[in-house]
Amino acid sequence: MIHALTLLLLRVRAFVARDFQLAISYRFEFFLRILTILLVVTTFYFISQIFAESGTQFSQWRDPLAAWITGLAVLNYFMTGFSSLANAIRSEQMQGTLESVLLSPVSVPTVVIASSAWDFVLATFHSSLYFFFGWLFFGVHFRGSFALALLFLVITTLVLACLGILSASFAMVFKRGDPFAILLGTGSALFSGVFFPTQLLGSGFGAVSRVLPTTYGLDGIRRVLIEGQGLSEVRDPLMILFIYLAVLLPFSLWVFARAVRRAKREGSLIQY
Amino acid sequence: MKASQRPGPREPIIKIDRISKTFPIPLWRLKQFLRRPTKPPVQALREVSFDVHTGEIFGLIGRNGAGKTTLTKIIATLVQPTSGTAVVKGFDSVNDDEKVRAQVGLATAEERSFYWRLTVEQNLMFFARLYGLNDRLARRRIIELVEQFELKELVSRRFGELSTGNKQRMAFARAMLAKPPVLLLDEPTRSLDPLAAARMRALINSLAGGDPSVTILLTSHNLSEVEELCSRIAIISRGQIRAVGTSKEIRREHRQSERVMLTIDGISLERAEQSLSSTFDEVEIEEQDQTLVVSFTRETNDERFDKILRTLHDGGGRILSIETERATLLEVLESYEREQEEEG
Repeated sequence: MIHALTLLLLRVRAFVARDFQLAISYRFEFFLRILTILLVVTTFYFISQIFAESGTQFSQWRDPLAAWITGLAVLNYFMTGFSSLANAIRSEQMQGTLESVLLSPVSVPTVVIASSAWDFVLATFHSSLYFFFGWLFFGVHFRGSFALALLFLVITTLVLACLGILSASFAMVFKRGDPFAILLGTGSALFSGVFFPTQLLGSGFGAVSRVLPTTYGLDGIRRVLIEGQGLSEVRDPLMILFIYLAVLLPFSLWVFARAVRRAKREGSLIQY
Repeated sequence: MKASQRPGPREPIIKIDRISKTFPIPLWRLKQFLRRPTKPPVQALREVSFDVHTGEIFGLIGRNGAGKTTLTKIIATLVQPTSGTAVVKGFDSVNDDEKVRAQVGLATAEERSFYWRLTVEQNLMFFARLYGLNDRLARRRIIELVEQFELKELVSRRFGELSTGNKQRMAFARAMLAKPPVLLLDEPTRSLDPLAAARMRALINSLAGGDPSVTILLTSHNLSEVEELCSRIAIISRGQIRAVGTSKEIRREHRQSERVMLTIDGISLERAEQSLSSTFDEVEIEEQDQTLVVSFTRETNDERFDKILRTLHDGGGRILSIETERATLLEVLESYEREQEEEG
């Protein structure tokens, strides 16, 4: 058991080291991304000044910059959880390196998980930058339990990773045109309350919002960090996320195993 | 020592048992339901069976599309067979795929299988870690391999900056990272210059003859290379194994006859014609630079050769040289292809 875990960690480290080396071979892009985050936070700061004097009935949006920063940082993380698994497969397929990676004595699920590890490292760094720039330059402060916010972040990311596994399964069999990516990628920003309160969506779009796990994740994190709520107050969104996880985890793993088997049978594992 | 001369234990390390592979049509049921036209499924392999023994260099030859790559990929667990089994060192390629991969190194001529922006060392280090080598062991192994494969001066160069030949050496070095007992080589000298190709062949030979010995299954279009390196060969044509054996056995099995050319002197053309044509059919005699060249075809191990020699000798002839010409591997391959085409 310990040996297997050590081997897994060694392999995850191999992928992280590889992706780090690849990332620093594109240094300019790395710094450009940091600058982009600073520009985005600055832009939202000035937009927030429009609403500086006007009150709002939505308690999470009384400091709109804090709400936006939280929304953007968390959405970045959620989307990494969702897209990195499928992207890991797709980019290796397109580079032509998937075959050589799959020739090593590593299982396909390990390859998928390990090769998305760097995305999470990068997402953590980028998401932290939103908070850091908000705090450093624009005086944004958060309160409440960071541990509880982290719990929301982890559970929601896991739920999205399950959807990501479904997306990766789709990429493995159909290669392109992933419907999960289209629905969740574009849908989350619009319907999860990243830029405005979900209450404004009304009953029709509100229903879409209530289906998305990102809505509960983001709501929970804002309630904790902005409104300072405790565990008893955020129990409902947390429970919903756990139910999502309980249903999606076994289902996505089952679908993934079938997709791998099918791709091997068709001999299309390395095609894209 | 040549592979064909190498003694040693002959246990099968790779067992291919009645493997068939038909590539299914993706979304076949859906296409049928929508009444969309579908192509027939491609049958890449049909009931392929053979064993590769420990320490052997085994060659798989055939035309493009014959099924060599599919078979190699099945052994490497990248593709699952439709039926039949591939067992490597006792592990099944479908049920124990991870264990099989731990026994096998595959080197292909595919340049895209590396990360072009990483250096030689970074690439090898990444794959070494995937094979479960810790950093200390991996570094030591990389130093050994870059020396062995003449890549020492290039370790800090990006993979994308290497020549095609060096990229091929990298693929070989990567396959050897975990010292696997089985190596699958897909055209190992395709992009190498003649000198480098000769060194690569010597290296392949030394791996198979080393201690512990590495079993090598190689596919190639270079038939002279296959003959030089491989102790046994399988000819694959349209997904079927047509012949398995040493190159000598395959040629002999394929064509029992051989062409013999004798160069003689001490006997005139008239005398030779007189004594030979009365006893033997289809013997050609030509005069060349004050010698005679006597050509004839004989069946392997028949008495015709001995009798012609005696007749010429009795007539005062002196044998200067004897040349025999058997079917080349290329001719064997071509004839199997022709047979297949005739069978339809």
